[in-house]
Parts: sequence; C-alpha cells; structure tokens
Amino acid sequence: MPALTLTNVNKKFGHATNEVIVLHDISFEASAGEVSLVLGPSGSGKSTFLTIAGGIQTPTSGSVVVENKTLQELSGKDRDALRLNQIGFILQAYNLVPYLTVKDQFKLVDRVKPQGNLNAAELADLLDQLGIGQLVNQFPAELSGGQTQRVAIARALYQNPDIILADEPTAALDSDRVKVVGQLLRDLAKQHNKAIVVVTHDLRLQEFADKTYMIMDGKMTVA
Amino acid sequence: MFLALKEIRHEKLRYGLIIGMIVLVTYLVFVLSGLAYGLAQQNTQAISSWDASRVALDKDANDSISQSLITSTTANKVAMTKHEAYLGQAGVVAKAKGQAKLSAQFLGISRQQFIYQTVKVTHGHKPVKANQIMVDDSFKDNGYALGDKVTLNSTSGQYTIVGFTHNAKMSVAPVVYGSLGTWRTLSHVTSNYKANGIVSNDANFSAQHGLSTLSMSQFINKLPGYSAQNTTFTFMIAFLMIIAMVVIAVFLYILTMQKLPNYAVLRAQGIPAKVLVTTTISQALLLVVGGLVIGTALTLATVLALPAGVPMSFNLPLLGGVTAGILLTGVIGALIPVKIILNVDPVSVIGG
Repeated sequence: MPALTLTNVNKKFGHATNEVIVLHDISFEASAGEVSLVLGPSGSGKSTFLTIAGGIQTPTSGSVVVENKTLQELSGKDRDALRLNQIGFILQAYNLVPYLTVKDQFKLVDRVKPQGNLNAAELADLLDQLGIGQLVNQFPAELSGGQTQRVAIARALYQNPDIILADEPTAALDSDRVKVVGQLLRDLAKQHNKAIVVVTHDLRLQEFADKTYMIMDGKMTVA
Repeated sequence: MFLALKEIRHEKLRYGLIIGMIVLVTYLVFVLSGLAYGLAQQNTQAISSWDASRVALDKDANDSISQSLITSTTANKVAMTKHEAYLGQAGVVAKAKGQAKLSAQFLGISRQQFIYQTVKVTHGHKPVKANQIMVDDSFKDNGYALGDKVTLNSTSGQYTIVGFTHNAKMSVAPVVYGSLGTWRTLSHVTSNYKANGIVSNDANFSAQHGLSTLSMSQFINKLPGYSAQNTTFTFMIAFLMIIAMVVIAVFLYILTMQKLPNYAVLRAQGIPAKVLVTTTISQALLLVVGGLVIGTALTLATVLALPAGVPMSFNLPLLGGVTAGILLTGVIGALIPVKIILNVDPVSVIGG
C-alpha cells in the first residue's frame, strides 16, 4: 500500500483565456522504504506538485491519498494535523524561525506535537550525522546557507514523519554535503521505512533515488 | 507564549521601542486621569465631606450658588430640621502678617446645624466665636499656623485661625469655615439675607417658596468651570485611548506582516493557526502589561516628585478602569491582524 498516491491530478490557475494548466493528469505513488526523485526545471510545476501532495493546495481535479486518507475529504484542521504528524516538509527558503536558536526550533515542535518526535539521543545522532551538532545555540542568521539547509532538514526529520516532502533540499550544498544528505534520506527510507519524495533539479541526488520522475510543462513521466 | 517570549528576547530593540511607546501612552493617560480626578476632587472635596444630598437655591440663580441669595423672609418659610443647614459662600483672599496671600472660598455655616457638626478637625478646634475661622490644611502647607490673625479681602476685621481641617477644597481653592455673620460682612449683604443656599442631607428634601432644589450632582455640575473642565479631560483621555489603540494596532499589524513568511512556513509544517494567533495576542498582552507596569512606576515617581500643590490624585477604580482600557486597547490592536494570520498562504513560501 503506497503511503502517498496522486491519481489523475490536474491543477489549473486562472479562467478562460487566462487559464494556465500547471499540472496535467498526474498520477504518482510513493511507498514506504523508497526515495522518489522528481526532476524538473524551474516553473515546470514540481513545487505545485509538492504542495498538492502535502495537502497545502487542493487539486482542480483528481485525488490525493495520504496514509489511506483522501485529503480533499479532510477539514483544514485535519490537514494541519496530518502535516504535523505524518508529513515532514523540507522547504527552500525561510525554513527556520529567525528568532529561535537551532535547539529552540526543535522545542517548538515539542510544544505543538509533544509525542512521537525523536528522542534526545536520536536528535543528537541526526545533528552529528548532518555535521551541525555544535550549532544548537546559534540563531539562523548566524548560520551559513548550507548549515541553514541542514538544520531545516533536521527540523523536518525531528517530528519523525512517515512521509518526507523535500523541495530542493540540496540547493545550497556542496557535493560532499549533497552526498551526506542524499545518503541520510536514503537511510531514512531504508532503515526507518519512510516514504521520501524530493523535487529538485539537482541531478547529483539521482544516485540515491529508487525511482526518478521528470516533470516538464506540468506533465510527469518516469525517467 | 513560547514564540512570543523568544521573539521579544531576540528582538530587544524593536520590542523595547514598542514597550517605550506604550509606557509613554500609559504615563500620559495616568497623569491626565490623575489630574482630572485631582481637580474634580478639589472642586468638590468640601461638599463631599458633608454627606449632603440636596441643595436649595434661589430659583432665579441659574442653579449657581454664587448667584443665589436667600432672603430671611424666604428662609423662614422653609421648614428647617436637623437635616438642613444654611450655607453662605464668598470668594476671598486671605492674608496674615508675614504670610503669602491665599485665594480661598469662605463658607459661612451655623454652629447649630449639621455641616458644622460633620466637618472634621485635624488640628485645633472648630470656631466658636464670630471672629474665629477653621481652614483647610493647605494653609498650614503655606506657613499659616493656629493663632494666626487673618484678614479676608479688604474688610477691616481680623479672624483667628483656631482649627485646621483636611481635604476641604471647593472650586479648586482651600475653604475657610466661619460664621454666617462673617459671610454677610464679606458679601456686603444685610441681615435681610440668610444665606446663599440651604444644604440638606435628607434625600427627600424639597424646598418651595421661590427656591429650586437640586441634587448634589446637579449642584456640583453647576460649580464654575467644573463641567467644562471634566468634559475637556474626558475628551483628552478618550482621544488618547483611541490614538493609543490605533498606534498599537498599526505597530502590531506591521510586525505581523513582517512575520508572515515565517508563519507561512510554520503553517506548511502543520503548526495550527490557533498557535500563531495565540502567540500574537499573548505577545501584545506581554507588551501592554510591560508598558503598563513601567508606566505605572513612572507615574508613581512623578507623583512623589511633584510639589504638593499640583492637584493630582488617584483612586483604585479610576486606575483599574484606565488599566483595563489600555489592556483592552492592546487586545483589540492584536485582534486586527488575526484574519491575516488565519489566511496566511503556505504556498507563498514554496517556489514554483
């Protein structure tokens, strides 16, 4: 049973002559234990795909099922709860709250979701693995772009979600760090049975993916 | 509260400036309220100390005691009981040798009537002779003492201070209590006139015979300048509260707009909108409470530093009301951007 299923999803913006079709009849599955890579250039619709998969946007038609729940049938509150408990987002920008230290970014998660997060030892392991264990008392403004990206990844993984949706998670990283992040995502999929979906134009991640898709002009194909 | 406190700690200058602004607004509202209440008290302190309910004045006096004169003929027609007292009022300038002149309100009263019996002495005794007077404590603050011989206006007589009384002010001037005979001398009227008015502590008192009977609030509102002064202060304080609300609301709106990208990320990560709304409101309350505490301390310091002559006075209901008003202002200000927070679009932070 796939953790995430999109069936015949279309997304249109605007009306009549201004209508733009961003996603065209997308069907997609992501299963636990797999890393799915969705490649595409800027403006291809890959971020729209990600927001629809995560229940942030609704499709114009088609259905999105996460852990056996059809997102369109859930209330806004229930979609919030689903994102908080079962989906971890790794976003490109503004990922961290600027007035919280790295340590407090995780405390914030504890406050809204007291159970089911990583324990202290698991968090320490994760931070060491990402090479940011010594940065726990720093504010985001004191971090480099790569460090910020890695803290954002740790932040998303901390809530121990079943599905991880990552938007360009390696955009600010050098090749060595890309390998670390790629291997981490792969380990999470294999060892912790997570479903990982990464949208990116970074081909360096291809070696860590089980399945690779291409999005071009709103249409998805298997690469 | 977690996010609210963390942000305030991290952005000390920004939030310090906002708290500073709330402190200044609070300080201004407290000081103006204190002055308004203090001035109102100094208009009515003496009257309030009698526990009176009604006042009868000449019907043609336009409800003003200084314009009212009651003839003996009219006064004799009014059934006077132990609840009624004659009152003569005259503006005077008091002067004793070696002391500064003091503008005051002379109140002529009868030793046999309730006002005389109600007034409390803080030092000395009540006047028992026609040339004796009892004065407000502020005379003492100005160097006057028991036994001082005082002249009132340009009359030739001298009056001895035999007692002091506390909080006896009328129309923002200290009161000089004396006899009705002295009042006649100061007012240049003959014994054909009994008093300016008849004061009663009987709530059902009603005088006829060409007199109009007023409640105490009607009487006080007709004191010269009292109503205009209170209305002016009320408008100043009300406008200040409205301005405070607008300023606080604008600050919170700008702050919220600046935080929307962060809120969008948090919403994308599933943080409930309720948490963000609670954060905004609790942050506004923290700022307002902080401003109120510092503003109150600043007001108290000002009260201690001001000379005794400044008519500033506070009471708990007044302070409580003003504090609640400013708190409410902060909450309303914080509620304005709530709709924006509820509608924040997580998609806005995820690129195409």
